[in-house]
Amino acid sequence: MKVFFSLLFFINILFAGDATIEVVKKADSLPSIAVEDASINYDETFRMQFFKSLVADLNVISLFNVDRHRRVTHYNNTDVLVENKDMNYVLRYSMSEDDDRALNVVMKLLQSGEEVFSKSYKVSQQNIYMFVSHAMAYDVNEFMGEPSVEWMKRKVIFSRIIGPQKSEIVIADYTLAYQHIIINGGFNVFPKWANRAQNAFYYTALDASVPTLKHVDIRKSQITDIVSSDGMMVCSDVSDDGKTLLLTMAKSGQPDIYTYNTETKKYKRETTYGGIDVNGQFMDRNTIVFVSSRLGYPNIFSKKLNTNEVEQRVYYGRSNSACSAHGEYIVYKARESSNAFSPNTFNLHLISTKTDFIRRLTAVGVNEFPRFSKDGDAIIFIKNYKSQSSIGIIRLNHNKNYLFPLKYGKLQSMDW
Amino acid sequence: MKSIVLSSVVTALLVFSGCSSKEPAVDTKAQEIEAPVAQEVEVVETETVSAEDSMVESQANATAGTMSMADVEAQLPVVYFAFDKFNIDTAMQEKISAAATLGKNDASTYSVKLEGNCDEWGSDEYNFALGLKRADAVKKALVAEGIDTSRISMVSYGESNPVCTDKTQDCWAKNRRVNFKLLP
Repeated sequence: MKVFFSLLFFINILFAGDATIEVVKKADSLPSIAVEDASINYDETFRMQFFKSLVADLNVISLFNVDRHRRVTHYNNTDVLVENKDMNYVLRYSMSEDDDRALNVVMKLLQSGEEVFSKSYKVSQQNIYMFVSHAMAYDVNEFMGEPSVEWMKRKVIFSRIIGPQKSEIVIADYTLAYQHIIINGGFNVFPKWANRAQNAFYYTALDASVPTLKHVDIRKSQITDIVSSDGMMVCSDVSDDGKTLLLTMAKSGQPDIYTYNTETKKYKRETTYGGIDVNGQFMDRNTIVFVSSRLGYPNIFSKKLNTNEVEQRVYYGRSNSACSAHGEYIVYKARESSNAFSPNTFNLHLISTKTDFIRRLTAVGVNEFPRFSKDGDAIIFIKNYKSQSSIGIIRLNHNKNYLFPLKYGKLQSMDW
Repeated sequence: MKSIVLSSVVTALLVFSGCSSKEPAVDTKAQEIEAPVAQEVEVVETETVSAEDSMVESQANATAGTMSMADVEAQLPVVYFAFDKFNIDTAMQEKISAAATLGKNDASTYSVKLEGNCDEWGSDEYNFALGLKRADAVKKALVAEGIDTSRISMVSYGESNPVCTDKTQDCWAKNRRVNFKLLP
């Protein structure tokens, strides 16, 4: 019997915290939460918008069973509403407009009628209310002591194809509720944040005489040419310190991965295979994963920078043409069917370099362009299904997917 | 005891193998999370960059040689490719040879930009690279026919420049192509 328990214990240790293992049947045990609106100003439509946004965010943090009924109360009422008295938690908030027309929000979290957490927020304009609701959900998550969901507060940048050779680059929140077109006109693709602070980004201009990588400093409204390459030019990844870029360039018609030092302005060719090498992504400071056709079909490989050591990383699927890495984990896109009319053509899969498990993350449609969040908690991706383009978010440790549809156009690429 | 241990192991293996093939729970409430408003909001905080709207290269119809640029361009072929391939078949090779002849005569004063395109299967870098390899295959064929390499530039548009947007095999075949664009 001891052997049996120690075996179980061993298995438990082995799989604890492995994101390639799914968590199932966890939802039943989540605590309940209700949201009470005690707003002073604003019309009913806006109040409802804010409420919906907050409820959606609370759902995404995946810690509660969120009650979807909007109930109105007074902020200083000592008791929760009678309908909410059986809830484990009640989140009460109040929105008010000040003399500068700024949106002020105060909120408190009540547990069994007792206030356990409170905070206030202010944004200069009403129309960016969604960032307040994201911040509130972020803070509730922090208060509950869960792993950070910092990605919620980060901005997504994406390019949207609006016609042949026409695109827009847009900055949005992760739900796409807020959208600001930052580059309008022309044919610009593959936007990529240049730093953690998200105050600059790179993109590829395809309507220049030669495909050109550009850098945009958002604060200074300044656009600078970085490097050009005949045929193809993509900034695939930026190192954590922002000093090294992984580029796909095609000097002499040959798509290969290059590193580019933003300080010395020098680039170095990292792959030399005569077929296709693209989509370089940092695994750590000295290792990259990338997509290569060196087996005759696209698949995922890794390479240690400054060496010639290349290793195949994925052994499942006959066409794996996109990837992203975070620590030991690699998420990749695999073609499921050679029938383009199948409802299930491209799915995302997660592997760990330390185990042999493969976890399929999506079920239907064309799922592509996976990108890990900086903290590895979530994966963002593009889903195209039945003529609808959406941004999807997968919360790995909570086994949940969320979709945020784009109103028009088709998502080309994105970063967060 | 041994059998209990064995059966426990088997059960554990079954449980884990079952887990790895299950679908993740797709949230059907996605509609409720849908953005309440997707209005194009005005300038917010400091995030403003003036619209970059004057980047399109002008391609005026300069007259040179015996034919105008538009006339020559109209005679240049579109080279089509098979799914996931960038090799040139015999029929397409003939078209390229004809284009090279044109390039050495009526179009001898122009440069050419080869635009590689793909069908809509995937929006990733690999697709862009495939478009590029198609353009590069046409470039190599032109050079083999005697066109100076310095007159040829390339660009890949991936799947972002379709001529046909229906969801049919025929339509996609039309999108797997290389276009010739003349430059003065």
